[in-house]
Amino acid sequence: MRIATNAYQDSMLNQFNLLASQQQALQSQVSTGLRVQAPSDDPVAMQNTLGDLANQSLQTQYGTNISTLQTRAAGVDSVLQSLQTVSSRAGEIATAAGSATNSQSSLNNYADEVNTLINQVVNAANTKDSATGKYLFGGTASGTAPFTTTTDANGNVTAVTYNGNGAVNQAQIGAGLTATVDIPGANPTGTGARGLITDNQSGADFLNHLISLRNNLTAGNQSAVTTTDAANLQKDENNIAYQVANNGVVQNQLTAAASFATSNGQNLSQMISNSSGANLMNTIVQLNQAQTSYQAALQSGSKIMQLSLLNYIH
Amino acid sequence: MLGLFGTLDMARRSLQTQMTGIEVTGQNIANVNTAGYSRQRVNIASAPDLLTGIGPEGTGANATGIQQIVSAVLNSQIQSQSSAGGYASAQQTAYQTAQNGLNEFLNGAGAASSTNAAGASTSDSGLAGQLSTLFNAFSSLATSPSAGNQQAVVGAAKNLATTFNNISQQLGTASANADTSVTNDVTSANKLLSQIANLNTQIVRTQGGNGDANDLLDQREQDLENLSKLTSITTSTETNGAVDVNIGGQTLVSGNNVSDTLQTYTASNGHLLVQTATGGVKLTLSNGSIQGTIDARDGALATMQGNIDSLASNLITSVNTIQNGGYNANGGTGNSFFTGTNAATISVNAALTNNPALIQAANGATNPGDTSLALQISQLATTTQTGLNNQTFGDYYGATVAGLGTALADANTQVNTQTGLSGMLATQRGAVSGVNIDEEMTNLMTFQRAYEASAQLVTTVNTLMGDTLAMKVG
Repeated sequence: MRIATNAYQDSMLNQFNLLASQQQALQSQVSTGLRVQAPSDDPVAMQNTLGDLANQSLQTQYGTNISTLQTRAAGVDSVLQSLQTVSSRAGEIATAAGSATNSQSSLNNYADEVNTLINQVVNAANTKDSATGKYLFGGTASGTAPFTTTTDANGNVTAVTYNGNGAVNQAQIGAGLTATVDIPGANPTGTGARGLITDNQSGADFLNHLISLRNNLTAGNQSAVTTTDAANLQKDENNIAYQVANNGVVQNQLTAAASFATSNGQNLSQMISNSSGANLMNTIVQLNQAQTSYQAALQSGSKIMQLSLLNYIH
Repeated sequence: MLGLFGTLDMARRSLQTQMTGIEVTGQNIANVNTAGYSRQRVNIASAPDLLTGIGPEGTGANATGIQQIVSAVLNSQIQSQSSAGGYASAQQTAYQTAQNGLNEFLNGAGAASSTNAAGASTSDSGLAGQLSTLFNAFSSLATSPSAGNQQAVVGAAKNLATTFNNISQQLGTASANADTSVTNDVTSANKLLSQIANLNTQIVRTQGGNGDANDLLDQREQDLENLSKLTSITTSTETNGAVDVNIGGQTLVSGNNVSDTLQTYTASNGHLLVQTATGGVKLTLSNGSIQGTIDARDGALATMQGNIDSLASNLITSVNTIQNGGYNANGGTGNSFFTGTNAATISVNAALTNNPALIQAANGATNPGDTSLALQISQLATTTQTGLNNQTFGDYYGATVAGLGTALADANTQVNTQTGLSGMLATQRGAVSGVNIDEEMTNLMTFQRAYEASAQLVTTVNTLMGDTLAMKVG
């Protein structure tokens, strides 16, 4: 077969271009670790990878949400612990004040202490979330302080008003899975999340029960203290214990969800790697092959191009 | 018998014949790098014999013609191949532009030591990641309704809207570029039609005078190939050597005349198509870069633009439907989240941009701390949309990206295939028509030696004539 002189050059140029583009593609795969970078590299793998990346991003977001909830749950737990302390002390006072040996002066001292406890409870119930500045126990009406008080001339709380509502915000912590660590300050409806201070289901009405206790102590009505107030305060203590336990349950749920999200994220990383990642060993071997081919093409090409009949005739 | 004068004349004609061979060889060497040049060969034939008493006696040789070595079959195949290659290349260019405009690439943070690298370090540079970022920002807002998270929602939405705008603009530019390309190709085609008609005129004139129009034929063949790259053509050769050119069923070059030309017209979709200029016949072209560009523009690019617009409009509607019914942290309402209707016009409401606290995430005026609407919007990430073929936003976009990727990958495969075929055909044509320097040098030496021998014949005859004149009688 005749070979036109320029056929050598044209053919070699095409080969050089082909081998150079192969090298460039393989080098890019090695340096990025990605077999697929553009949609046209492997459309199906690209589609799968985009889906997996979106899912991976969701898992990361679940982790972020969980972390936020865990921080808030720790803050709620701290408030609950302090309320438990107050509740426990109020119960002790109700029990101790019922003794016939107590003078009115002693009862007044107890009443003063209960006043302090009332203020502690009001302050605790009006705690704000450090991250958002919103009230923790106002439900979703969290723009204003959930508990406002009416005081007498001595500055003692005589009545408490709840300004919040019984709703709580849910956060996404997994696919189709939401959770909340929020507790409404009061829930008079008997359904939904149980209220922290006032709750229809449990019969809790902590602040009013404390006010009643103080009032009965001040009035020297020991009978009411032992028969009514002590029983009511027990309901409050049970309600707070329920909230502590529930907070623990939610925290466990968050820990499990975080672990699940992390595990899902790792699985998705593997899937992304399988879809679009470069098999480094194969890619490096292919790169070496391409380099060798390129070198061989250059060497053989340069030798062939030098050959001509002109070198031999004089 | 020829006698001394006849032999001297034979030597003269031999010198002329060999010189013609040297000239043709020189022409071939000179055109070794000329695109489309077909090598030429001098045809040498024995001169008519003289009948003598002892039988026919040769009278030397004459150059009877200079022949171009071409294969009409290969030329026809190359024309057809050029059209297919032009079509694939045009599509490749259009899709490549669209892919760049989409800017949806995977990024890796470097090679890992594992068998399969990437994975955790992989991210994407385009709309997919920004969709996730927006939904995640709403999720964060639902979890923790802080000012920072409100700001993050607006920031993510602005980035997403800007990306939609950019993609729409880039796809629009790709379509506009396609129209420009069609216009330029039509101009080039008309110029080539004119050149082919002119060459027809010269070829007919040259060959009518019994001359060879080899170089003109090369030029015309080159023009026909270039025209084939633009659009598929059919040709027929007239007896006088002229070539008629037919495009899309319309004869545009007939002999020496350009009977009609191409021109663009604006179709119902607002883009350019092609018709004949005088006849006004709307052409259905096949192959060639003009139709490749048109098919890419009205096919995958239009689908892409439509899908991106659907994605944007469904996002606008879905987010606004939820958000617009809500209340902001101060109990206020009345602000849409997104404005606009498609990818080109989508934007975040300026009121929210200026004051992210106006995001209406609360499901009621009396519970401003409610974030249930933000949660609902974040859940759109995994909610299928009726308007998006019952796919989620991310899946619909992923399918759209894959659609463009498939179109470009197919075009790349076609271009590679056509390039390989073109190379093979070029090599085959080179085998027939290409110049080989070694061969030409051998021919040169052959003609040179023959010329030297002919010259020696002149010298010998001259000596004999001198001897004859020097003879003395008696």
